[in-house]
Amino acid sequence: MAWSDIRARYKRSVLGPGWITISTAIGVTGLGFVWSYLFKIDRASYVPLLTVGLVLWQFISGCINEAVSVFTRQANIIRNLSLPLSVHPAQLLLRHIINLAHTLPLFFIVSLILGQPLSLEAFWAIPDFVLVVLNMFWMALLVGILGARFRDLEYLIGMIMPMMMFFTPVMYRPNALPPLMQKFMWLNPFGDMIEIIRYPLLGETVPTHLLLMNVAMLVVGGGATLALFNAKRNRIAFWV
Amino acid sequence: MTAHIKFDDVTVQYPIYNSRSMSLRNHLVRISTGGHIESDAKHVQIVTALKNANFEIKEGDSVGLIGHNGAGKSTMLRTMAGVYTPVQGRVTRKGRVATMLDLGAGMDPELSGYENITRMSMLLGLNKNDIAANIKDIEEFTELGNFLQLPVRTYSAGMATRLMFAVATSTKPDILLVDEMFGTGDAEFQAKARERMINLIRSVGIFVFASHSLEIVRQYCNRFFHLEHGAVREITREDVEAKLD
Repeated sequence: MAWSDIRARYKRSVLGPGWITISTAIGVTGLGFVWSYLFKIDRASYVPLLTVGLVLWQFISGCINEAVSVFTRQANIIRNLSLPLSVHPAQLLLRHIINLAHTLPLFFIVSLILGQPLSLEAFWAIPDFVLVVLNMFWMALLVGILGARFRDLEYLIGMIMPMMMFFTPVMYRPNALPPLMQKFMWLNPFGDMIEIIRYPLLGETVPTHLLLMNVAMLVVGGGATLALFNAKRNRIAFWV
Repeated sequence: MTAHIKFDDVTVQYPIYNSRSMSLRNHLVRISTGGHIESDAKHVQIVTALKNANFEIKEGDSVGLIGHNGAGKSTMLRTMAGVYTPVQGRVTRKGRVATMLDLGAGMDPELSGYENITRMSMLLGLNKNDIAANIKDIEEFTELGNFLQLPVRTYSAGMATRLMFAVATSTKPDILLVDEMFGTGDAEFQAKARERMINLIRSVGIFVFASHSLEIVRQYCNRFFHLEHGAVREITREDVEAKLD
């Protein structure tokens, strides 16, 4: 079902997802030049890490922003057909993964242009990405349930997410910060999700604590969300 | 498969939230002020839409649900469909269900007619082969021709209704649940729609139909449930006819 939806959307606008690639490319080029100059950092190493950060941030914030209304916008379907409710966040996630597939190649292009070598370590990004997607799923589900019950959450999220971008290591690495702030940074789930993919892509080994953080997030957050979902799944049809 | 629906002492309640109780901000204000301010936010009206319903519907039954607005007809259909879950009692259901509650669930105005046929059919639980087999039939019934290649947002209301109705009636379910839906479109379409509907009703195991119109209910159904403030009472054909006069 989700597949057909995406295929239909995809067919409709050939350049649609292409626009995302183009706008991201422009953003990365502009920001990369200005920031590397401002911060006096080596452009060749900075622009690739910025690209991964921005592209993953688009994925994460896109999912969260849309997750708020994932159930309310499908009210028509939920109130008329008896479908498993988790279909809706799954579909949302899939759509953003496809978008990501259009922007992530920019990282490889940028690395190639700037002559940054890719190591085999980059393959670790694949299992790490699976972990990120699983985490993203429970987050989308949680935000979706809360968003169905509390309608003003949409505005709250819309306000918080742009702010979160600066508290998340999107345009910088956490290890550029003083040690105490670094510790705080690891408490930011979005930061952990970006870093666990950025490490292998930049040819570095993922530190154990980062991996543990992501797994713990999945177990605790996923468990809590599943419990909430099981308790409230029968009420969602009445809320939307 | 023999279709079967059984309600054991089913009660359905749902909350009616006002705009205040749907606001997280108001809840936070209420909690932080110990309930002095925004105590309204806590106030949630509980509506009992169905009270201790007990009945059994078997293969071959066509059930007409009659009652005033707000008597619980739509809630009953949604509970039968599994959309609403009862707070008490048990619903047992056997057979594949198709619903026609709000027409056009899952219709995307940006997609073309053909894409919407696929999309809505998939939501109704059809697979690719079923859909391919239905396309011709839908083309013929809707008489939309080349319009099916255009986005649905360019359709007039009547055209959209034709498409929605055609897709909704293209399924071959065991149980068909229909909420008041006759009387849309022009006279010619109504006659066609009626014929299609009758064929569909004949093909299903169980047909449940909610309507205000006693005349139509009498025509299609062989059992009659009267709903009043959520209470269900089965009445005879004579009772329905007596009401008509």
